[in-house]
Amino acid sequence: MLDLKLEDIDGILVRYNVALEKEMTPDEAAEELYPKDEQIYPIAKAIYEGEEDDVIDGLKAAIDAGKDPIALINEALMTGMGVVSKLYDDGIIFLPNVMMSADAMLDGIEFCKTQTTEVPEPRGKIVCHVAEGDVHDIGKNIVAALLRASGYEVVDLGRDCPVDEVIEAVEKEKPLMVTGTALMTTTMYAFKEINDKLLEKGIKLPFACGGGAVNQDFVSQYDLGVYGEEASDAVKIANFIVGGGDDIEKLREEFHKH
Amino acid sequence: MVKKYTSMAYAKADDMLFGNCKFPVKAGLGLEIGAGYATPELNYAPRPQAGKSKEKLVKEYERITTDAMARMVQIGAPSVVLETEHVEQMSNNPEWGGAVAHAQKTIMEEYHDEYGIKCALRHTIGDIREDRDYLQLRGDKYSVFMEAFEQCAQNGADLLSVESMGGKEVFDYSILRNDTAGILFGIGVLGSMDMEMIWSDIADVAKKNGVVAAGDTDCAQANTAMFIAGGLLDKNLAHTTAIVARSIAAGRSLCAYEAGATGPGKDCGYENTIIKSISGVPISQEGKTSTCAHSDVMGNLTMQCCDLWSNESVEYHGEFGGTTVQCWVETLAYDCSMMNTSLKLGKAKDLRDILTLSDKYRDPQGYVLAYDNAYRVGQAIVKDGEDNYLRAKNAAIECCNIVGEGVASGKLKLTRFETNALAKVKADLEGLTDDSDKFMSDCLTKYKEEVAVFRTENYGL
Repeated sequence: MLDLKLEDIDGILVRYNVALEKEMTPDEAAEELYPKDEQIYPIAKAIYEGEEDDVIDGLKAAIDAGKDPIALINEALMTGMGVVSKLYDDGIIFLPNVMMSADAMLDGIEFCKTQTTEVPEPRGKIVCHVAEGDVHDIGKNIVAALLRASGYEVVDLGRDCPVDEVIEAVEKEKPLMVTGTALMTTTMYAFKEINDKLLEKGIKLPFACGGGAVNQDFVSQYDLGVYGEEASDAVKIANFIVGGGDDIEKLREEFHKH
Repeated sequence: MVKKYTSMAYAKADDMLFGNCKFPVKAGLGLEIGAGYATPELNYAPRPQAGKSKEKLVKEYERITTDAMARMVQIGAPSVVLETEHVEQMSNNPEWGGAVAHAQKTIMEEYHDEYGIKCALRHTIGDIREDRDYLQLRGDKYSVFMEAFEQCAQNGADLLSVESMGGKEVFDYSILRNDTAGILFGIGVLGSMDMEMIWSDIADVAKKNGVVAAGDTDCAQANTAMFIAGGLLDKNLAHTTAIVARSIAAGRSLCAYEAGATGPGKDCGYENTIIKSISGVPISQEGKTSTCAHSDVMGNLTMQCCDLWSNESVEYHGEFGGTTVQCWVETLAYDCSMMNTSLKLGKAKDLRDILTLSDKYRDPQGYVLAYDNAYRVGQAIVKDGEDNYLRAKNAAIECCNIVGEGVASGKLKLTRFETNALAKVKADLEGLTDDSDKFMSDCLTKYKEEVAVFRTENYGL
């Protein structure tokens, strides 16, 4: 077959990711961010490494040394996850690292709960679902994992979720927002029905939507819709609501990029 | 009857070309796919509100079909394939799918009768074999699933396809955790087992109705990996991991042709050049013309050996240049005109190489799918063609070797992250057993425990 000379390739394409790669390795970047406390450090590091067993060992050691299990959730587990989230946001580590860290963190939280009668306080509650008729749920699973990893309590309604089930969950759980994902154009129409039924009941809360066929134009057609282009936008939208309120227009100004 | 491939259809990679395949397929109204010319394949999705009733849906597809056929004759295109990917209502209610196929084919016959345009209708049934919480590959929905093929075949569909889901529950879990064994097990073993079952039955339906059992794609898994991997700057999955998943997927998609399908393979099967090298069946491909549906990093390269050239999917609505289906089918038709002109002028191999080289070094995915390297992955598959596990593993290892050689040549560049991901996958693969039974046993133990939605009965295990 024909082939290009090595020196000709740069004129045809540019590997911007190779050209702009950061000098620092992920491990080095993480090391700079870990808390220095000798009880907390190994837990945060184990979260970054996604090692569930090491997380539990670190928690046991910290509790034996007198640390409060509930306080450890914020001081160690969430702090470790904060390192992971920052490195992901900065483009230093990739999604599978975050997912493995999230698994480890959730195991850690469950362990802490077994060590006390106190109940940890989540940052807020969020209802997640995949549109009725749609069984493609990997996007929703990523959203749910990232939200949990950021300290939110997730009520996961699963895939192919009937409209009325979403309404019932919102009435019961009173979340700070709902998320909906869909891969197909015909199933995402359910988002509009959810929007209408919520408004009929006088419920007004942000409805963050995204996924394969979902686009900003469609989500903008219903009053509660806020479009999220990436799974990680769900966390940013939730953080925005916690910090700045749930005004839909303000959320759209912030997150509608097109 | 499943007969596994143990040799290559082509003696060498250079023999593969667009618009030509070893085993052309006659379909529909005067069309022969892979018989010396490339044909546009238009794909579309109805507007969101169109799924509210059967009548609305049929009407929507009538508009789509008329618009597309009208544009084809307006610009003088000699042939076209229309692909209707079912929305769930059409597969869950097989008579809906049949009604849509009938309405579309009636319009296509009118155009064929009046203008002589060669055309065929592909219906891609939705894989509805699941309930709310779990895959239900062999459960109650299987008969509805097969009835959906039957209804479409009886009512006008010429080509039967599906984007099957077998193995996806383990794959989805594994791809987000860099679990190489799980990716191999999900796609290469579980997916292949399911493919062998469903394609034997789909081929029977096609034979009974005198239509074509066309083919499948590993969209549910390899494309999930490709989409998560995204563009050059995305940070969700290493592109080196994605191309390993793609190479494994070739063994899975090949199972359709081993069970009786004859092609053309589905457009979104980016593994199709590998499939073609082994089987010689015609293939559909998508690339720069599918930017309406998604981005990829090999928009020209995928055209290299296509027999049908597709746009993946576009929502039906108006644009400045007409409706979306008119705009995109016109673009596809002009691309095919270019390919067909090069064939007539004896310049097709040059055009093929130009298309390939314009993307070959852009990304490890394009590098491995370039036809010369795709052929090598094919050879690795047929080496142990009788064993779904071993051939998937061979494909993955060969993929790693090809990327390594590309990097060594200096022409393919990887980030440190991609390099590390590749090294991890390669080490994982080298650590795997060569004993298929042991691999199965180990994986069943591991994933029954780790993947809550994994049900072994879906695979007859």
